[in-house]
Amino acid sequence: MTKVLLIGSPNSGKSMLFNRLTGLSQKVANFPGITVDVASGKLQGMDDVYLVDFPGTYSLKAISAEEKVAVAQFEKALADADVEHVLCLIDATRLEKSLFFTLQVIRECELHDKPVTVLANMIDVLEANNLSIDLPALEAAIHTRVLPISARSGKGLAEISEHIRATRTADRPRQRPHLTGTPDEILRGTAHQLAQRLGPRGDVLVRTQNRLDAFFLHSLTGGFAFFGIMYLLFQSIFTWSTPAMDAIEASLAWIADGIVPLIGSQVLQDFTADALFSGIGAFLVFVPQIFVLTFVIGLLEDSGYMARATLICHKPLRYFGLTGKSFVPMLSGVACAIPGIYAARAVDSPRKRLLTYMAIPLMPCSARLPVYALLIAAFIPGDTLLGGLVGWQGLAMFGIYFFGMLTALIITGVVSRARKDQFDDLPFVLELPPYRLPGVKPLLRNAFNRAKHFVVKAGKIIFTVTLVIWVLGYFPNFGTDLGQSWLGHLGRLIEPLFAPLGLDWRYGVAILTSFLAREVFVGTLGTIFGIEGAEENMVPLVEQIQNSDLTVASGLALLVFFAIALQCVSTMAILSKEARSGTLALKMFGAYFVLAYVAAFLVYQVATLF
Amino acid sequence: MKKTQPPGAPKTLWSLRRGEHCAIAGYDDLLAEAYKVRLMEFGFYPGERVSCLQSPGFGAPKVYRVNNTIYSLDDEIADHILVESTGP
Repeated sequence: MTKVLLIGSPNSGKSMLFNRLTGLSQKVANFPGITVDVASGKLQGMDDVYLVDFPGTYSLKAISAEEKVAVAQFEKALADADVEHVLCLIDATRLEKSLFFTLQVIRECELHDKPVTVLANMIDVLEANNLSIDLPALEAAIHTRVLPISARSGKGLAEISEHIRATRTADRPRQRPHLTGTPDEILRGTAHQLAQRLGPRGDVLVRTQNRLDAFFLHSLTGGFAFFGIMYLLFQSIFTWSTPAMDAIEASLAWIADGIVPLIGSQVLQDFTADALFSGIGAFLVFVPQIFVLTFVIGLLEDSGYMARATLICHKPLRYFGLTGKSFVPMLSGVACAIPGIYAARAVDSPRKRLLTYMAIPLMPCSARLPVYALLIAAFIPGDTLLGGLVGWQGLAMFGIYFFGMLTALIITGVVSRARKDQFDDLPFVLELPPYRLPGVKPLLRNAFNRAKHFVVKAGKIIFTVTLVIWVLGYFPNFGTDLGQSWLGHLGRLIEPLFAPLGLDWRYGVAILTSFLAREVFVGTLGTIFGIEGAEENMVPLVEQIQNSDLTVASGLALLVFFAIALQCVSTMAILSKEARSGTLALKMFGAYFVLAYVAAFLVYQVATLF
Repeated sequence: MKKTQPPGAPKTLWSLRRGEHCAIAGYDDLLAEAYKVRLMEFGFYPGERVSCLQSPGFGAPKVYRVNNTIYSLDDEIADHILVESTGP
């Protein structure tokens, strides 16, 4: 299998170019030890050639362990006999930034006798501003072919395949090394001189960018813009995804209604309706959120705004060991932890990405809302203050939301300070890319690939856990009484664990099943108390809980427990895939369970004093 | 890595206000070697002219121009880059 490597520095348009050159025929893999995916796909028009997209890096001199892995893999790939060609992408509008890295790549390729072609991207931006670079002189200076392209408009892309084909068929003489053995210091000086001599003259692009920055980074206008854009992002996860999520649930229910009556055996009917279709629905329902969030984040990134948003919220988050890049993943986590964990890919520092992973599951996600609503309705009085302006229940809801966010920040702050030197880190030097109009097609393609990744990687785990919990709740009495099922017995077995919180086996079972998704807690309690459709109408269940022997102190303890505990198999599944660590999700589950339990116990003890 | 600037100490990049220019003089000893290398790869090497384009409020990272590229640096890094005046 013939391979062509694509490499380039961040913000040079590499992902867009890769999507353009490979279409939808992409496969995503990963290097052990790093979180960045390595995508490969058939080069369009050349079915026997695979284009391999390497992670964007500023230099072949790595400074973090993650960069070291990526660079080592690049060097290993150069030694691979299947690799026939290397495409090095540069940003033609900012030659200075790209040329040093390009010279490093050429030097490495000379060592392995691999031909390099430099792709000068964003040539359309230069033309639109009456700017140019001296391509023939650049080719002569670096002894390498330079093709002018625009990944956004598609200009020059056909020539890339033609050039690779011509290089393959030509009887290629061994490349004469020009840079072999040249130290980085010399390459840096050469890059600087070439950029000054051959790069675009004038600073019209920088001035345009600076005018927009004066608005978007201004204390007042920038603040308004930031809150407006983040509000839209948050709304997109909820509002734009909801119709598609509802449609998925309705479609699955419709198919199940059609199929189940055709099945003879009652056990198989129950299995198909409650395990099979629930299991599929359990992960398919997240797909619209992941698709929409990936698309919107892509819009923000490609437009150049994401870097500005990062800058705006960097300072307050830094105090808690995080970075400005942690903000969007954490905000997404308020809707759902899963798209939030995907969004954490943007955090380039491994240390801060890990801390962001730790913060996301503590964000008050939408799955917690039904649990909070049930417990608050059951235990917090509906009285109001200040002539009806402030209600105790509303205050309690605000308080528990705030508690989750505050806990997240305290935990990351403490862990960050406790393990100061044990993580791998990168300095906060953020390149502010120019503002651009994003291309919609590549973003849609990217969102599709991300949704596919979720279904393939996390779907299996979520489906399996759903099946296991169904089996435990269904047998041995074939679903007639949850209390007498294996799950019910398990609930009684762990009753002593929850007794110090004033909870009996029924709540233990509901906590166990809520591991599927937190909102399942409400439905399970409804089943145990014999109330149909408790998720849709909580009032009868609220009355049952109020009339049971559960105290206010236990209700408050449950609220605190759910605010902290990592009760979500889907989050754990995607966390282990994204962090490339099977143990991280388990460690976090254990740590947050202990923390949730201790906090709930303290709340219970204090509340019982009153 | 945050440090307190004593009186008479060399000027740092973080002290630049919006619209001011300077030339990089070097790095102080507190900055890790790997960070120095990365900053030089970005174009922040001694002698290079740098402008401060934006200085957002509330201590947010400042925005600097080096050649035709714009970077944002926070005080933890910019306070370790020593600069000298290049005149108006």
